[in-house]
Amino acid sequence: MTASMRIASVRLLSKTRHYFSSEVAVQPGARTVHHQPASTRNVCLIPVAFLHKGRAYGTQSSSVTVTEEPDLLFQKLSVLVKSHDKAVLDSYEFFATLAAKELGLTLAKVFEPPKNIERLTLLKSVHIFKKHRVQYEMRTHYRCIEISRITGSTSRVYLEYIQRNLPEGVAMEVTKTAIEKVPDHIQMPLWSVQSQEKQGSQ
Amino acid sequence: MAIYQDSIRVQDCFGTLHKRAGPSPPAVSFPVGRAAYSLGLTASNGVERQGLPERGNQGQRRQRRAVEPRTERMTVDQDWTAVYPTAASFKPNSVPLPVRMGYPVKRGVPPAKKGNLELIKIPNFLHLTPEAIKKHCEALKPFCTEWPAALDSDAKCEEHFPIQVESKAYVSAGPSLRNPNARIITLTVKLSSLNLDEHARKKLIRLSGERYNKDTDTLTITTDSCPMKQQNYDYAMYLLTVLYHESWKTEAWEKEKTRADMEEYVWEDSPSQKNILETLLRMRPLGEKEEEGEVREELLGRVEVQEYKDSVTKLKNEGETETNMQQYKEAVKKLLNI
Repeated sequence: MTASMRIASVRLLSKTRHYFSSEVAVQPGARTVHHQPASTRNVCLIPVAFLHKGRAYGTQSSSVTVTEEPDLLFQKLSVLVKSHDKAVLDSYEFFATLAAKELGLTLAKVFEPPKNIERLTLLKSVHIFKKHRVQYEMRTHYRCIEISRITGSTSRVYLEYIQRNLPEGVAMEVTKTAIEKVPDHIQMPLWSVQSQEKQGSQ
Repeated sequence: MAIYQDSIRVQDCFGTLHKRAGPSPPAVSFPVGRAAYSLGLTASNGVERQGLPERGNQGQRRQRRAVEPRTERMTVDQDWTAVYPTAASFKPNSVPLPVRMGYPVKRGVPPAKKGNLELIKIPNFLHLTPEAIKKHCEALKPFCTEWPAALDSDAKCEEHFPIQVESKAYVSAGPSLRNPNARIITLTVKLSSLNLDEHARKKLIRLSGERYNKDTDTLTITTDSCPMKQQNYDYAMYLLTVLYHESWKTEAWEKEKTRADMEEYVWEDSPSQKNILETLLRMRPLGEKEEEGEVREELLGRVEVQEYKDSVTKLKNEGETETNMQQYKEAVKKLLNI
């Protein structure tokens, strides 16, 4: 697991690491006390509860590894679940909202988008009898749970927990809005105005 | 070691063997593993359930015996998470609830839970009681990280982290787990948060074309040309970088920008300015022969002329509104001393 984390961190080396160090500089002094240390840690995710280790006794001490990879920040995490059965979605909503509250997440909105009914009218018979048809309909019910301001590690934990307990016949669509700093290569222009004037005069 | 419940022969105090059929009257029993031995001493005297007579030979085929369901032995304060630790189908003998489900018979009630296929078909949440959820979340808490307390409002997030990257993930059952829409990335950034001067900003707006929204001052880049999400993200960042650096460059042909290319109306050197200067020059009393340039400077410096300039610029840029027209009217009246 650590090997794959290292690989992941190599790939992300180009990303800015000093999220919070620069933020510390910007924020007024009183706020910096509550910050996490300069390099925010990302948490390795193999919850022991989900690993089948074949032991008879219960979970051992949790194997939490902290890496130096900077944690992602999500301004909004929107979970849309779809199903043909509204009662299942009701129960699932109760489960997801309770899980979010227990993990300390802020539920921005929990609502029910209107259902979508797709109707088909087909011929009842194989050959003729055009006047005799049969009608089918497919009802898709939706439920949306929006969570605001969640970190990458927590979102992975929450989403994995939610998705592992997704019931049969329910589909999920997750929309993540990550927020990032302006990268270093966009801070200053490569061609400054002075050098342009020089080129213009030449 | 497999223990078959039906392989246990129950012997009552009379020494005769008989099968258990249906729920038995309360009996003294000692649960041993999965089988229950009964002393056969029943509370009700005499009213003995007559089981079916032994069929065929005794030793040949072990008939199934109906043992009392597990629900009988469940206490009210038991640990339910041990009964349903994971998702499992509905087992009527394990769930101590008098659930009924299905279409009711005529002048009757929905069928009971025993042997009810409807209850087995639907997904149940018996493994996700509030207690179970709390236990799970307690175990998951060490893997979560806290949101930084300083970023408590959207405005602050926007200020420190101006770029927003939106992506979607899909979970569904089907022939394939993959969803091709999962590769799409949408990058949103406000131009006010980028380091741009006037020329660079106008050029960037021109280069981005439809991707720029004037009302919210946001540039939206949507990429879906690569097959993987990470590739699309890299491509979106690349596009942003290229747009930024290209907008700072000034090409040789940009000097040929005419009045028609301007994004906004500029009053200097416009027909409106020429007209007003001409009018004001004519309004001056005759006889004074002064330098043209000096007169122009003087006239342009007047407050009324500045007001007129503002009103005309507003009219042209923002369109005709009540306030704009009023302002124009006042400015003209002041200029022409009406």
